[in-house]
Amino acid sequence: MPEQHVVLRNREIPGLARLDVYVAHGGYAQLKRAVTEMQPAEVIDLVKASGLRGRGGAGFPTGLKWSFVPRDLYPKYIVVNNDESEPGTFKDHEITLENPHQVIEGAAIAAYAVGAETVFIYCRGEFWQEMDVLRAAVAEARAAGHIGPNLHGSGYGVEVQVSPGAGAYICGEETALLSSLEGELGQPRLKPPFPAVAGLYAKPTVVNNTETLANVPAILEHGADWFKSIGTEKSPGTKICCVSGHVERPGNYEIPLGTSWDELLAMAGGVWKGRRLKAVLPAGASAPVLAAEQMPGLALDWESVAATGSILGSASFIVMDETVNMAWVAKKTIAFFKHESCGKCSPCREGTWWLKHLTARIAAGEAGPDDVALVTQVVDQMEGKCFCPLGEFAQSVPRSTIERFAADYAERSAAPAPAAAD
Amino acid sequence: MAENKLVTIHVDGRAVEVPAGTSVVDAAHQAGVEIPIFCHHPRLEPVGMCRMCLVDVGTPAIDRATGQPELDEAGEPVIRFFPKLQAGCTMRASEGMVVRTETEAVAEARRSVLEFLLTSHPLDCPVCDKGGECPLQNLTMRYGPGQSRFTWGEKYHFPKPVPIGPLIALDRERCVLCARCIRFEDEIAGDNVLGFENRGRGMEVVSFSDPAFDSYFSGNTSDICPVGALTTKDFRFEARAWELVGQPSVCNHCPVGCNTMVDGRFGQIERVMPRENAAVNEIWLCDKGRFAHHFASDSARLEQPLVRRDGELVEASWDEALGHVAERLAALVAEQGAGAVGGIAGGSLANEDLYLFGRFLRSVIGSNHVDHRPALLRDDLIARAGLVGEARLTELGAGDTVVVAGLDVEEEAPVLFLNLRKALRRGARVLILAGRPQKLDAEASLSLRYQPVAKDSLLAGLLHAVLAAGEASSADTPARTELAQALAGYDAERLGQQHPVRAEDLSAAAAAIVGAERLVVCFGRELAEAGLAPALEALVAAAGKAGQEGSGLLAVGPQANSQGAADMGVLPGWLPGYGRVDDPAARAALAEHWPAEPPAEPGMHAESMLAGGVKALYVMGSDPAGDDPRFAEALGRLDFLVVQELFLTPTAALADVVLPARSSLERAGSFTSLSRRVQRFHPTCDPVGASRPDWEILRDLGLRMGATEPYASVSDVFDEIARVAPGHAGLDYASLGAAPAAAPTDILLPFAPQTEARSVSYEGTAYRAGAGAGRCWAVREASADSALAWRPAGSEAAPSLAEGQLLLVTTRRLYDAGRMLSASLVMQPLIPLPLVEIGVFDAAARGLGQGDRVRVTGPAGSVVARLEIVDGLTPGLLQAPEGLAWSLPVRALTRGRPMAGVTLERLDEAGEARK
Repeated sequence: MPEQHVVLRNREIPGLARLDVYVAHGGYAQLKRAVTEMQPAEVIDLVKASGLRGRGGAGFPTGLKWSFVPRDLYPKYIVVNNDESEPGTFKDHEITLENPHQVIEGAAIAAYAVGAETVFIYCRGEFWQEMDVLRAAVAEARAAGHIGPNLHGSGYGVEVQVSPGAGAYICGEETALLSSLEGELGQPRLKPPFPAVAGLYAKPTVVNNTETLANVPAILEHGADWFKSIGTEKSPGTKICCVSGHVERPGNYEIPLGTSWDELLAMAGGVWKGRRLKAVLPAGASAPVLAAEQMPGLALDWESVAATGSILGSASFIVMDETVNMAWVAKKTIAFFKHESCGKCSPCREGTWWLKHLTARIAAGEAGPDDVALVTQVVDQMEGKCFCPLGEFAQSVPRSTIERFAADYAERSAAPAPAAAD
Repeated sequence: MAENKLVTIHVDGRAVEVPAGTSVVDAAHQAGVEIPIFCHHPRLEPVGMCRMCLVDVGTPAIDRATGQPELDEAGEPVIRFFPKLQAGCTMRASEGMVVRTETEAVAEARRSVLEFLLTSHPLDCPVCDKGGECPLQNLTMRYGPGQSRFTWGEKYHFPKPVPIGPLIALDRERCVLCARCIRFEDEIAGDNVLGFENRGRGMEVVSFSDPAFDSYFSGNTSDICPVGALTTKDFRFEARAWELVGQPSVCNHCPVGCNTMVDGRFGQIERVMPRENAAVNEIWLCDKGRFAHHFASDSARLEQPLVRRDGELVEASWDEALGHVAERLAALVAEQGAGAVGGIAGGSLANEDLYLFGRFLRSVIGSNHVDHRPALLRDDLIARAGLVGEARLTELGAGDTVVVAGLDVEEEAPVLFLNLRKALRRGARVLILAGRPQKLDAEASLSLRYQPVAKDSLLAGLLHAVLAAGEASSADTPARTELAQALAGYDAERLGQQHPVRAEDLSAAAAAIVGAERLVVCFGRELAEAGLAPALEALVAAAGKAGQEGSGLLAVGPQANSQGAADMGVLPGWLPGYGRVDDPAARAALAEHWPAEPPAEPGMHAESMLAGGVKALYVMGSDPAGDDPRFAEALGRLDFLVVQELFLTPTAALADVVLPARSSLERAGSFTSLSRRVQRFHPTCDPVGASRPDWEILRDLGLRMGATEPYASVSDVFDEIARVAPGHAGLDYASLGAAPAAAPTDILLPFAPQTEARSVSYEGTAYRAGAGAGRCWAVREASADSALAWRPAGSEAAPSLAEGQLLLVTTRRLYDAGRMLSASLVMQPLIPLPLVEIGVFDAAARGLGQGDRVRVTGPAGSVVARLEIVDGLTPGLLQAPEGLAWSLPVRALTRGRPMAGVTLERLDEAGEARK
């Protein structure tokens, strides 16, 4: 299957970030149609029927999420999770830079569907350029009457606010995002209450990923059946895959879900320098590593990847060739999780700190005889005890690399001690 | 109020019934099963951070088709367990829930979490103040791994310790980041002063406020800290927990009556801790109560009786001193009559002292010139209109209304402030009537601001609105009708011209008062001094709440036992238990217990005695000379002055005989709190020198002068009080000290809308209960009609202001420069220097800035102070806190009045007034 650009239409349409170009290609027509011709419930039903699932990683059905919002509590909010901070993930970055209006339109349609009148686009702290683009797009769209009060005389209005994060991975987790958006320390909150009931400022809130919302205008335009005709039965639609690492052409590839790994790898030009594939991290640093032999023929949808014991997540494939030692990969990912652990719960805060020392020792070839076993024990001790998924994700790479690449660890353990410094 | 549904859950096979929504940890505690915790605290909202309380939880499987629980072959409900362990603190009990804490998975989780916590812990227990009462230590011994696999060199290190506030040191290495301190300050104290900074292992507790950790309740964070991260600067490195011997006491710094446990070693006080009393202070204590105990061991304490010989006070034996007092008083009575002798007592003495004081003067000397100062209550108001029944302010909630009148709650009764915040959280309405802003305004349901010179018209207007609001529900009695007629002119429109009060707020306040299930009115000195307390009595009666259980007045006096001083008849016209002096029956009843019947004429007030009304004065625990130079002059002219004191105060320095007394920390006795709770305290440390308890001094003096009762102990005195004072009938000293009947394992849900507060006690720094929670004395049967007799005077004796003058109003601050507080080295820096407060507009109009040095000139002189600009202060007002280190006490500046017209000048650096 070739690439199919539902979200990354910018690849075919130059200048799509400009309002006039976006409108010339059908932009904001679906929002107008929704507020003037459709009931909010119809919009929710349509999105439910399309089978659209969250593109941020968890793959939760979007229409279902919208339907959880209580009707009689006001105000409500739509929050666009544009915190894109999973290592190896860079799709929302391209969407917001090149096709910002599709995100704004999708978010505004979502707002209409659940009865919200304010949209917050929460951008990761490093997204200065993206925020400039989004703010300009919001201003332009508002000036042209595509968003703002009393849209098309319908009596319904929606305002969009672009808000910066402060550079924390954990703020991609929706409750931590909401805390951060409120100006609090970015730490996850207790669930329940779920954001749909008590989210931003304790009001009903839907948090959706940027890519998810960018799919919504297309679903309204072409219908649920069209959307379901793409991808697989349980994972309909396209997915932007971020391919990075040891490939010839790293980048974003929007493919129908269910496309095989081999096709994706071919799009990315294959493993670089003619080397052999060793392993793939299919969902950034959060997913268990997949060995090269698990990859051929693997269909890229949530169910198929889950069947391998890993996850599709946000579909950010970090490709590693035969030169990579997996103990080093474990060290790198743990260093990341240690740096990003928010500190709220003890197992993650202390566990990642401990693992950082252990994995660094191992990767440096200074491991003691029990250190690899100790890594396994520490991740076991963390498992199932953390407050939020970050602590659970942190275990994936060390656990899976020890399980599947024991030789890499043995190699490091057997490595001679580094020569004493002069 | 919605009743909380009870659910049954099974913890390790033990069934326990708890209100739905109780956390699994608390429910297990009630079942007698410990689930170890660090971040959870039964009085704080759960956060689920530490993960120590992970347990195996299952709920009954529900058949989707029928909605009924699925049953197995044996007919038992099928239990579905969660796939992962659940945090017991955030998991709420539901019907049929099954909790397992004894599985290997749970044991492994506890071992794991403890090992994680210990990886960053410095393990410096041998030098840690928490050692011996540390949950981390205890839980590690109980559930932790035997040894660590973590390499020492890889621990996270912080410089240690850092001062996080003036009273608290933070050791970030010991901190387990449970946020109890942050949550206490946010949820309980309402001081948003602490927070987390940074993330991951680098996260630390910091204070965001300026000044740092700006809270009157900071010491509590050290108690609830589950490790040794927060220690008080006062107790740091002073003693090991296991060396301490605790004695139950009652705080003597304000009228709340917080229960304390005074921990000492070798006869010396090492620290004061809150002692749990579910009806009073729960497990909290303010920083004044906690750190001000050093006055007891101050080197300036009087150790020997002093007798004036050749103009000098010289040390004497008790025998000489008491003999001298008895001889001189007898001679004076013989020469000039008993009416030449008067007595003034303070309000921080024990009931037994105050009772014997009145008994000695009225019956042994034969003079009714008996008074206490500063006085809030001047008559039997509280016996007539006090809160009916046992006051449990911690249980107020939805449906209840509390009126706070003429009182700055946090400054004057800090733990009452916590009680009211809790009442608000639980759904009660709190209305404030005050002349100036206070901290509780921000959270109160409604704040009505009066002009200080026209307080009575606002009360009249509120009463008018209450009568109107209650018209439908209350039967019209002649008294109601007459009052309504008298108040006809006090409508909202007229009030709006005089006070910054909107008509809708007035009617909302009236609706909250009339619609209250329980109506509690707390009033302070500001209204009492203006003679307006009876207006509040009328308010309760007009709302139809007179004599209703749980409704009535609470007098928030200036001192720890202000209530007791009135109860014990240390008032010129009132006998113990509020018999009238001019009532023959009341006098005759006393004569059965006293050496002689008191005289029939009511005596003089303290002010009259101090204005030359008597020739000889017996002063006990009061310092008129220190309060006003006019009094010092008057005292200097007396024929004879006896002073019983802890220190050589300005008054004592003028005395002919000075008798060294013991503080409440060195002796036994009882105080009566603002909620009329009579509470016992015990000796907690060695006495100073030859000092003796006040009651003993009075007993022995009485015996020398014709009294015969040889009270062997303070309980003999108290039991006589219980025979003499009708409201105290049924109280006896022994049972006041008995442990409360409620089981200490009962759980209180701090945020649940339930009315019953029960005792709760958890691992860690001890809040030892069990020493007696005291009991409230009983008020009389109420008479609604006579309560409605109040009428506004129409015009208050307001000071007239000259052109350009401001109205000086004297206020009170928790931290004053009195010797009780300033003897504490850690507290000294917190005591403000003399300051006056002005509103934003007045400051701008006068070109004054924050921190300017100003001179305030009043009727009796002038003082220099630092100017503070306060938001929300009514234009035309200038506030001056009493009790600071003034060159002339502000109450002397105003000639003893609560208000006076003053001029304000800004001073330059040379101290010259600027134009």
